[in-house]
Amino acid sequence: MANEQIFVGLEIGTTKISVIVAEARADDQISILGVGETPSRGVRKGEIVDMETVTECVREAILDAEDKTNVEIGNVWVAITGAHLASFNNRGSLALPGERQIETEDLEAVEVNAKEVAIPTPNTFLHTILQAYHVDGNQNVIDPLKSEGALLEADFHIVHGIKTRIHNTLRCIESLKIGIEDVVLSSLASAQVVLSQDQKNYGALMIDIGGGTTDYLVYIDGAIRHSGVLALGGDHITNDISVGLRLPIARAELLKIEEGSASDPAVSQGGIISLKNDPRFLGCDVDRISLETIIHLRVKEIFELIRRDIESSGEGMIDLIRGVMITGGCSKLKGIAQVAEEVFDIPVELTRARNVSGATQIFEDPQYSTAIGLTKYARLVTKNIAPESMIDRLAHGLGNLFKKRSR
Amino acid sequence: MSTSPSRRILVGVGNAGVTVLDLLSVECPGMTGLLAVNNDRDSLNASIVREKIEVPEGDPGEGFRVIDEEFGRTVEGASAVILCGGLGGETGSFLLTALAIRAKSAGLTTMACVGMPFSFEGKHKRDLAERSLEKLQEICDAVLVIGNDQLSGGSPSISAVGEAFVLSDRTLLAALLALTGMLSTSGPVKITRADIHNVLGKPGVLTHFGFGKAEGSNRLHESLERALKSPLLTIPGKGAALKESAIILLLLRGAKDISFAEVQAVVGKIEQIAGDNCQIKVGVHADGPLGSPLELYLLASSGGTIRKPAKPSESNETAETNSSNGAISSNSSISRTGTIGTIGTKLPQSTGGYEKPPEHSEGEKGTGELFPDQTKPASKFGKKAATASKQMQGTLALDTYQRGRFDKSEPTIVEGEDLDVPTFLRKGIKLNTPTRK
Repeated sequence: MANEQIFVGLEIGTTKISVIVAEARADDQISILGVGETPSRGVRKGEIVDMETVTECVREAILDAEDKTNVEIGNVWVAITGAHLASFNNRGSLALPGERQIETEDLEAVEVNAKEVAIPTPNTFLHTILQAYHVDGNQNVIDPLKSEGALLEADFHIVHGIKTRIHNTLRCIESLKIGIEDVVLSSLASAQVVLSQDQKNYGALMIDIGGGTTDYLVYIDGAIRHSGVLALGGDHITNDISVGLRLPIARAELLKIEEGSASDPAVSQGGIISLKNDPRFLGCDVDRISLETIIHLRVKEIFELIRRDIESSGEGMIDLIRGVMITGGCSKLKGIAQVAEEVFDIPVELTRARNVSGATQIFEDPQYSTAIGLTKYARLVTKNIAPESMIDRLAHGLGNLFKKRSR
Repeated sequence: MSTSPSRRILVGVGNAGVTVLDLLSVECPGMTGLLAVNNDRDSLNASIVREKIEVPEGDPGEGFRVIDEEFGRTVEGASAVILCGGLGGETGSFLLTALAIRAKSAGLTTMACVGMPFSFEGKHKRDLAERSLEKLQEICDAVLVIGNDQLSGGSPSISAVGEAFVLSDRTLLAALLALTGMLSTSGPVKITRADIHNVLGKPGVLTHFGFGKAEGSNRLHESLERALKSPLLTIPGKGAALKESAIILLLLRGAKDISFAEVQAVVGKIEQIAGDNCQIKVGVHADGPLGSPLELYLLASSGGTIRKPAKPSESNETAETNSSNGAISSNSSISRTGTIGTIGTKLPQSTGGYEKPPEHSEGEKGTGELFPDQTKPASKFGKKAATASKQMQGTLALDTYQRGRFDKSEPTIVEGEDLDVPTFLRKGIKLNTPTRK
């Protein structure tokens, strides 16, 4: 395989479908060649509800990307999200009879052992992500291969979701005669380009607020400790505005983008926002404090839910997080960082894809973090694993879903 | 034990039964008529229930012969005996049936409230439980069954085993409270034993049970929503279980200020979901101190050989209103026209239980439609509710206007709240509505 590879990341979002075509260079730098995009229809809260429409939208987005980059797209890496996804941490253990050297098969066996947990019948495993190895109680062994021991243990972060819903995404892409390299949890993809290695080691919470879902991921000591998906996002803010101020959805969306702010209404400048007449809308005067109250309450609630979820998923975990990184389309909302700071009481930064090059206006936009992250994830996975075992991995992961097509 | 004619005795059998009685004594400190029966001395000693009968260890049949007489004396003169415990274990399965036969042969109304084992407890236990349940249903006047497996269907599968049992005990407790609560609705109108027998008394029926508890200004809606979300209320793949039921027993228990409007609203809502062929029997226990939470219990069944509901003639009796303390203890059978049977004259005024939100017009409209006007054609709403419940497995669809564009999408429910409803509405924040030009 050549050192320079083309990777394609596809995110079927609630608001838009984006296809990022990127080139991974020998120095690991990701260079974006272009982006194909269509507004999304038939997706609600990150999940496909209308197969035919979505398939059509994906086709348009792929064609758009091919047009712009002059790359023929054959295989894609797909991001997946939705409230059906759940995660937990589990430790696998393997007794090594007679204190022998640890072999590659042992590492595989311990992973299988960690997955021997009952997940709900309709669910399937999506990721089994290694956190740390322990050999004979010796904590956090970085590479146990060839070291000697009697007991090998490994901690994993395991993500699972409803099989049929994951299949829907795959079927929609396969019907376009496009191959799927792998399915990746959205937040895991975003984190690849949004967080630096230092931040992962130091303890970071990444929150990707999109249109239909909010995906989050906690890194501590360089490993993923928690992940979650809330079926809440920018669409909810728009809907709240529409209900609260009695505006049509489209007008509420515009008002959110132009004037919306998540800051505490107590410090609002106040006043009136005048909405002009247009052919389908009779103008009106909107009270700014009301608008900010609606947005503030919703945004604060989202952060509070995330905080409570992290608090309940691991004792003391929240105290190990040193910084919050917010990305996703909705992170462009004014004042959102202050609200997060208020809720988490640690430094908050608005962020976007880093360490990538190419067309700047693309990677500087936080709404592409996930799609760009997919290409980086692809680079990391393919670099570390020989092509043959990659196929094995896919076969293990989701059965015979992936029929490899020629690259 | 002294027995007065109207006394009912709750018998906790086996470890599960004793645990549930302990929980009950903590929840309702003044409750009398509790009896713990077990062959585990440690469990009995640790129990805070006052009356205990220790069954000698070893063969349960032998053990039962030893305690037979003592048990007979204890329950003598009671108006009803409610047995409670987990099926599947040797002790519980045998003793529950044996005690039921004993109580029944003494001519007492005998009911049972039992938990079926989790499937991870093994096939042996499951088979034993099923055989015992069959027997119990033959003997008892009513059997309320809690399927532990159904319970865990609602919670993450990776929850700890210990938690699963705690949940199962808590649910048994709620079921026991529901049964005793329904039995003790006093006054000329109540949920009668015949009603309970009609719902739970036939062999092979599938129990549907839901309960919810809430306080504050939106207590009615919240408790109903929780009750409808109960995993024991749904038939997998068939939508809301209530639709399958011929009779639904509804018990409301709470503060003195439970209002007529609240009872009417909740009955209306259940009618929407349950459809046309269903009879709702209501019992109200409004004797708690002001501010105490509202508890709502739903009990229904399907399958088996259910009799068609008896003519609702007895339900036309008037409800009793205790005007001196403002408490109502009423009960009524509701016909499909949506009217509640005649209820006494002095009804307490609605005191904030089911309040309309502040004058903000969206909120007002929203809540108004949540419990729609009974004069609207019932069929239309019945149909709508039916589809909604199919999609969402028995959860209550909030008003269209409140959910806005998320009306038809799968609801985002976290920590028991429907988060598709705008945050400001749920928190009751008042906004200035825009002025049109």
